[in-house]
Amino acid sequence: MTRRRTLIATFVLLGLAMLPLIVPVGAQQLSDRAKKIGSQLKCMCGSCSMTAAGCSHPGGEFSGPCPTAKGMLQEVDQHSAKGETDEQIMQAFVQEYGTTVYAEPPKSGFSLVAWAMPTVYLVLGALVVIFVISRWVKKSALEPAGSTATAKAISPELLERAKKLAERETED
Amino acid sequence: MDVFGSFALLLAFVCAAYAVVGGIAAIITRHPLLVKSARQAGMATCGLIFLATFSLEYLFFTDNFSISYVVSHSNRDLPTFYKIAALWSGMEGSLLFWSFLLAIYVLSVLIAYRNKNGELMPYVGVVMAGVQLFFLTLNNFVESPFKALAAPGAGGVMSFIARADGNGLNPLLQYPEMVIHPPNLYSGYTGFTIPFAFALGALLARYPGEKWIHLTRKWAMIAWMFQSMGILLGAHWAYAVLGWGGYWGWDPVENASLLPWLTGTAFLHSVMMQEKRGMMKVWNVWLVFCTFLLCMLGTFLTRSGVVSSVHAFAQSNIGPWFVAFMGITLAVCLGAYLKNRDYLASENQLDSVISRESSFLFNNLLFLVACIAVLSGTLFPVFSEWFTGNRISVGAPYFNRVNIPVGLLILFLTGVGPLLAWRKTSRESLKRNFGWPLFTGFAAGAVAFIFGFRPPYALASLILCVFVAATISLEFYRGAKVIRARSGASFAACAIDLTMRNTRRYGGYIIHIGMVFVFIGLAGTAFNRDVQKTVQVGDSMQIGPYTLVLQGADTKPERNYTAQRLLVEVLRGNKPMMMLFPEKRNFITNKENGTMVAIYSTLKEDLYVVFAGIDPDTQIPVIHAYLNPLVKWIWFGGVTVVFGTLIALLPNRRSVLVLAPAPQPAVQPLPHAVAASRILREGHD
Repeated sequence: MTRRRTLIATFVLLGLAMLPLIVPVGAQQLSDRAKKIGSQLKCMCGSCSMTAAGCSHPGGEFSGPCPTAKGMLQEVDQHSAKGETDEQIMQAFVQEYGTTVYAEPPKSGFSLVAWAMPTVYLVLGALVVIFVISRWVKKSALEPAGSTATAKAISPELLERAKKLAERETED
Repeated sequence: MDVFGSFALLLAFVCAAYAVVGGIAAIITRHPLLVKSARQAGMATCGLIFLATFSLEYLFFTDNFSISYVVSHSNRDLPTFYKIAALWSGMEGSLLFWSFLLAIYVLSVLIAYRNKNGELMPYVGVVMAGVQLFFLTLNNFVESPFKALAAPGAGGVMSFIARADGNGLNPLLQYPEMVIHPPNLYSGYTGFTIPFAFALGALLARYPGEKWIHLTRKWAMIAWMFQSMGILLGAHWAYAVLGWGGYWGWDPVENASLLPWLTGTAFLHSVMMQEKRGMMKVWNVWLVFCTFLLCMLGTFLTRSGVVSSVHAFAQSNIGPWFVAFMGITLAVCLGAYLKNRDYLASENQLDSVISRESSFLFNNLLFLVACIAVLSGTLFPVFSEWFTGNRISVGAPYFNRVNIPVGLLILFLTGVGPLLAWRKTSRESLKRNFGWPLFTGFAAGAVAFIFGFRPPYALASLILCVFVAATISLEFYRGAKVIRARSGASFAACAIDLTMRNTRRYGGYIIHIGMVFVFIGLAGTAFNRDVQKTVQVGDSMQIGPYTLVLQGADTKPERNYTAQRLLVEVLRGNKPMMMLFPEKRNFITNKENGTMVAIYSTLKEDLYVVFAGIDPDTQIPVIHAYLNPLVKWIWFGGVTVVFGTLIALLPNRRSVLVLAPAPQPAVQPLPHAVAASRILREGHD
């Protein structure tokens, strides 16, 4: 009984494995994994800059995934059927097309620069802004304190200047 | 007419050259006649560019297929409407269109200030004419749109020929928005020339005070508004025509349009620091310089082919010209700054860390970080090829990851900034201003979380959107309440009155509200779904709550194309809702294809149905359906931003004379029945 079940299971699995060869490509439903990895791969047709999973090939006769994108997604499924990891599948594509196949820079080697840059800009920029603010606040604190002067000590010129300043700061 | 147009362009070049040389001579000699002649040469340049542009349009309208550019971008059956758009559909025409729009700005400035700012205007005129001269050089000697079609005749001698019909316009451009998107975007790009000319002119002339800022503020706002409209219309076009279910793909050309918008937005904020506090003069001048240079860089990236882009319809070898022009411009800016930098001495002082000034500094930092991140990401493939020999692609996933956090921080500051006072914000004021908006934001977030709004960025965006909307509403409420206490008018009337008294401030708030709508729309992306299926008549497919049933297909012959149309019935539950008609168009002349997406759009979601075509393998029609939540908010936000900008451009209603019944004292009644009481502007501008 157990042997019979194993036999049936083997046939079912074989049948499933043969399915991609029987079912026409267009009618084939791509696996979620192909879609996931396909979203990290650039469609290499040369006339669109979309991902393999998201290729709709604007301006094409068929605006689904173009034949190149379809082929790439099928290739993902083939690698997947061999039991390869995501990393291995990506590497297979890099071997085939070069580093241009990445939809986003990999997080290794020189590409790390691309990932680090925005954070570096933000951190450096924030440090500069904090430095500038603290310097300007200190400068303000060191300024002779006009506010301590009594009303009597305010000269007409100073009053006029203050009026102009107030006008400027409250006008739009 | 082609000879006329060509000659007009050549004369425009000569006039622009005179406007530069004569203008410089006028600045040196200060001779009034020279000043006048340089100004008039500037105006003549503009008039001649108009004539050249109208000549090219005339050639399109009269189907003159002896002109190479007309042959390449038009045909007899092209609808008249699109013959207008054919002008900017290729390199030569789009560069002429650049000159045309710039000429409108330049002429407006020359007329508006013809008897004003005598010390500054010659400098401004020279800078504007210098920019025009560069584009006219391209129009005349590099990419002339008036080249006649020629072919080798008998004995190999080249002779002029005329074709019976043209190649037609790129189908992707045959869409109503394509007639308005490029003019808007180009108006943004060209418009930033004016603030640039004033900034550089003021620096060169050592023009006193902040007057140049006041003069250019409106021009910068107009350019910014056009740039915003251009970007959003482009996004809408991509959404409705390209049929990929999205509106922003971080294509290098899209990025190029975003760069000057980001620095321009930073400028519109930081300029207030200079106007109100006399601070950041150097920063503002360089922001304007950078914005202009980024406009040039954007044009360079679009046309040079240095980075691969889907916008490949306007590429040629003009890259080196742009590089040279940007190099010269940068050198002039740097030289002017080094020579006259003492003129930019600022009154940089801050009374407190927690102040409006600090928020503006962080606001500028974030816009700049976003700009540099987009720029470096766009150019990274080129850098990686230089350094490693391998070109590493940088696509949409990277830009989304990098820019979403920065965008959310900017959104946060949009809420915080207006609530902070100039100079110093007290702790009590912080509590009073932030308590209610923060509570509202988090409460909305909690409710949304319960209803399944879980993706972290989308949730953060929603909380911040509600927070910002609450802060702005609070500002309107408080201002309107004060007016209402005095006038007794309705709340809406008071809010309008408040807005009109300080158009810049409240127009700015409306723009912020518009940006909140845009962010709401962007947050919806986290919930996008799509299904693609081969369907035969009678087949159905399901997406979200909708069932799509293919009821049939037909062919619709039009003048310029033949449309294959699917008749798709939409059901919700089992209830029929409507019919959608997605199309696939085949353009007769150039045998190219176009898509016409059918969209059922509500504030909640867009049902977006694409007829992808006939599957080449199965010969069965394929429908690609998307369910995109909240997209409509983006377009609604765009309209709000434009409305807010138009409000901000209006002059303030300075003061209002209100005739109110005088209070009746109990003992001594006044002899008059009414007394005039003058309500002055609120003091919190």
